[in-house]
Amino acid sequence: MRKTRLVLQRLWQMVPVLLAISVVAFLLAQAIPGDPVRLIVGPRASQEVIDTVRDRYGLDEPVFLQYFVYMGNLFQGDWGRSIAFRVPVLELITSRLTPTLCLLGGGLVLSTLVALVLAIVAARRQDGLIDQAIRLFATIGLGMPVFWLGLVLSMLFAVRLGWLPASGFGDTPVDNLRHLLLPWVTITVVMAPILVRNLRATLIERTHADFVLAERSKGMPEGAIFLRHVLPNSLLSNLSLLGVVAVYILGITVVIEPIFAIPGVGQLFLNSIIARDYFVIQGLTLVFALLTMVATLAVDVLTLAVDPRVG
Amino acid sequence: MAGSSSVPPVHPLIAVRLTRRQVLRGMVIAGAVPPLSAVLAACGGEDEGDGGTPSTPPEEIVRGGVLKIATPYAVSTLDPIKSVAAGDIEVLGQIYSRLTRRGPDGKEILPGLAEGWESSPDGLTWTFTLREAAFSDGSTITADDVVFSYLRLRDQEDSAYGGAFQVIGDIVALDPKNVQFTLKGPAAPFLGSTEQFNAGIVPKAVVGSMGDEGFAKAPVTSGGFGVQEWRPNERLILTANTNYWREGLPNLDGVEVIEVLRAPTRVSMLEAGEADVARDVPWAQVEQFKTREDMIVPLDPSSVIYVILLNHQDPVLSNIDVRKAMAMALDRDGITQAVTFGNAVTANSLIPNTVDFYDPEATPLPYDPEQAKALIESAGATGAEIEFLTTQIDDPATVLVQDQLKAIGLNVTINQVDVGGWWDSVVGANYGAAVTWWYNEVPDPDPAVRWALCGECGNSSFFTFYDNPEIDRLTEEALHETDPAGREELYHEIQRIALEDVAQIPMWYQPYANVYRSWVHDLKMNPAIQWNLDEAWMNP
Repeated sequence: MRKTRLVLQRLWQMVPVLLAISVVAFLLAQAIPGDPVRLIVGPRASQEVIDTVRDRYGLDEPVFLQYFVYMGNLFQGDWGRSIAFRVPVLELITSRLTPTLCLLGGGLVLSTLVALVLAIVAARRQDGLIDQAIRLFATIGLGMPVFWLGLVLSMLFAVRLGWLPASGFGDTPVDNLRHLLLPWVTITVVMAPILVRNLRATLIERTHADFVLAERSKGMPEGAIFLRHVLPNSLLSNLSLLGVVAVYILGITVVIEPIFAIPGVGQLFLNSIIARDYFVIQGLTLVFALLTMVATLAVDVLTLAVDPRVG
Repeated sequence: MAGSSSVPPVHPLIAVRLTRRQVLRGMVIAGAVPPLSAVLAACGGEDEGDGGTPSTPPEEIVRGGVLKIATPYAVSTLDPIKSVAAGDIEVLGQIYSRLTRRGPDGKEILPGLAEGWESSPDGLTWTFTLREAAFSDGSTITADDVVFSYLRLRDQEDSAYGGAFQVIGDIVALDPKNVQFTLKGPAAPFLGSTEQFNAGIVPKAVVGSMGDEGFAKAPVTSGGFGVQEWRPNERLILTANTNYWREGLPNLDGVEVIEVLRAPTRVSMLEAGEADVARDVPWAQVEQFKTREDMIVPLDPSSVIYVILLNHQDPVLSNIDVRKAMAMALDRDGITQAVTFGNAVTANSLIPNTVDFYDPEATPLPYDPEQAKALIESAGATGAEIEFLTTQIDDPATVLVQDQLKAIGLNVTINQVDVGGWWDSVVGANYGAAVTWWYNEVPDPDPAVRWALCGECGNSSFFTFYDNPEIDRLTEEALHETDPAGREELYHEIQRIALEDVAQIPMWYQPYANVYRSWVHDLKMNPAIQWNLDEAWMNP
């Protein structure tokens, strides 16, 4: 009961946060110099045409008025129209959401699995050769620029070897999988190290914790201690990190999607900023904010559910 | 586009000879010297029927397949009148036929939806006769559709590039097959403008029932291709229009235009065979592809011209001696060679070398750093600061220019902004100079001169705020001059004055940096950014 109330409270708190974000995003987007209309109809269009189109999108009104009109429409389900593509924003965003969610979900799962295996192996073989190798990988992965890695992987596996596609998302689930494999690997190489380093450190620390010592003194076998006590305990304290990583991957989609030409919201976000497509920027900011909050909330709920100390 | 169908421009004598030929053909009845290209079309004889023959013998052409083009340019609308952005120009020309079309050189005017035309002796009344042709939905293309298309092009307030059509006074459908245009005054570019990318013929009934908005997303077309699906900011999927008036074309089953912002990704797609054509490949990679047998590097001439914009309102740059010194300080050949790996030629004029009446004899100031330095010193400008605006901090051209201007005592700072910010600063005169490029959408020089050199034509000479009343006057005069020889003289004069005033600094003329897979055949892009996708074919 207490836990349910806690979750509801968290959900309710999202509303003012989203509102605040919408104000900031709206002001920031409009504060960047650059006229979307000139970029869309082409610089050679006459001033009259540019003015006409500006007028059509209500871009001549004071920013605050534009904001209230926008929010009013938003509450009625109208997210405005893309200036760059002249189609409804909501339609544009929803048609792009699936690839990004697949990229995000798969990347998160793969990163977590890889990190789990590596961290356990490293912790069990502390300071051994394998541990050193894993730690080296973690350090290199942490320092590797995503766009560079993505390009290299694409050049190697798509262009040279021809094993996987270099671009796009595909039309069937199997096809989607093939298209997402390289992006997922890219995400994993960059993201897993964060999890590996923390999880490994926690595992090693917990191996020497008092409650483990107690189990050990009871004569419990080392393997069982690890599986039943060290691992669950360490995972719990790393759960919150998973939320951070999820949010981080969400941010990375803006970089990864253009590299692999994945038609997701990350690429759309980048393009809409370049094109000053205000209403798309606004809509995507809200979607990204919402996804961030949902990811964090999901982790919190998970923690509530599995950790008896919380709640 | 009266006159000149080739570079160098038409010599007066040739024009006279053609006049006689034209009279013999009796095709275009014009009092003034007739549009040469129309004449050529009339003389073309053998390709009048199907509107031109592809360069490969028909028996060898492989039909079918979907050609994939990876391009950085976004499609923003499928309504021909709504945009003048590169990505739209490129596509609109493929899905809408115009009254006329251009030959493979991008200059010659051939019959399009109109199988022929006549003009009155005063050049003010033009009558176009439509051929038997249908829209992609099978409905017949009639004179009413032409009138409707031109009226919205000319009058609709969001028609993005209707300037060239304001000269049209009346447009009347004489009968279902004949349309008559009455011009408000003589206008040399008129016939050529009927081929312009935005003058595509749209079905009156369909636009009427769908409305502009619906039509812009899922149009009924009159060109070689119809629209199967448009996913904004992702791809445009085109399918062969089975009702296309050019018999037996297109050869392809369809075309996909895929938007890929990042150049390395476009190159990867090309190499992996996920794209058959990549637009805007970086020059360094173009060089590599030239040596590969599985790639074609056509280097089709474009109308892209690189220039250095100089803000004439800037206190330092308003001094003509400073501008002259800058022009003389730059080793333009060296910079051109370095930046484009020798794929471009150094520009000698301030308009593209592919537009009509470009002057190959125009001569900019010579490379002379010593004299440039002396000029800067005598102008008291040594150490003066000039802010170069760029969208790319390591833009090689800007960095080279900075270095060479430093040598004559000018202090160049580089200010990097993104594209949106760049236009804001330039339009607002809030910059010193900028290495940039532009292109002309049509072969006629009128829009080029209005855009880049005319101070009173709406864009303040590409926002350099250079304003020489003589050029403004010559621009108007050249528009109404229908004698090609006379026009040529006027445009040469404009180019000479602009160079003398150092309105801008010409840098280079570059071809398209497009690369195809070797299985792509007969595909060309003309200088007006128009593909001939209807004629292209593949044998992968």
